[in-house]
Amino acid sequence: MNFFGLFIGIATLLVIGLGFIWVIRSEYYLGYLWWPYFIGMGVLFILASLFVPSLWGSALVGVIGASFIWGSTEFKEQAVRAEIGWYPFNPGPKPDPPFVEAIKKLPAPHL
Amino acid sequence: MELNYIGLTAGLTAFLGIWFGHLAVRKIDFISPSIWVPAILAFMLGFALEAAAIYSANLYVTTSLGILGMTLLWDAIEFPRQHRRVQSGRAPANPTNPRHARILAENSSATTIDWLKRNPTGHMLSADELSQMGKYSA
Repeated sequence: MNFFGLFIGIATLLVIGLGFIWVIRSEYYLGYLWWPYFIGMGVLFILASLFVPSLWGSALVGVIGASFIWGSTEFKEQAVRAEIGWYPFNPGPKPDPPFVEAIKKLPAPHL
Repeated sequence: MELNYIGLTAGLTAFLGIWFGHLAVRKIDFISPSIWVPAILAFMLGFALEAAAIYSANLYVTTSLGILGMTLLWDAIEFPRQHRRVQSGRAPANPTNPRHARILAENSSATTIDWLKRNPTGHMLSADELSQMGKYSA
């Protein structure tokens, strides 16, 4: 019997659960235009996982990376949800990400 | 230095599992007359994958099965949640699906509009803008 997969599956659920929270918070304070930086962070995490020698460490870093990439695809819809009034809308100014004009020309991903 | 591919395996499986579940739950809820049949099937499949994960000796296989099984168990919970989103109007109802047709008849908040299929405007939408999007047309 090998419980590594079961336990890493449970850990994945917890990481995804955290994703709901940080996507809502990040969209509220930063705005959805930061999505490319979350993809970048996710890719860096997954690349870093290749160099983590421990099984648990590598798997967790990989799953956290995947969750960053998934979360980045949720930003646009979260922004719309807040504008409709399903979630709190932050009326204050949001910080522009670096290269904001270039980002605005890109279609924000959603899956 | 030897690379450790278990994180890449875990990350890829998690991303693909979430992506598949996200699309499948919405699509199946949209067309299925029953919400409990797909929920129970997802639960059983998720449970079976976890059992297979426990009995798998290969580290990559047990990792993938363990993560995929958990996302399926999550999907099982998402089916009734998606049903309630349709009731509340946050997810679009399909009038040709008998279950959704019933929801449309019994819930004034249910709608066929997909509210999320649009781009953010940067401001909170006014009642006027919402009604132009068809909120009160149903």
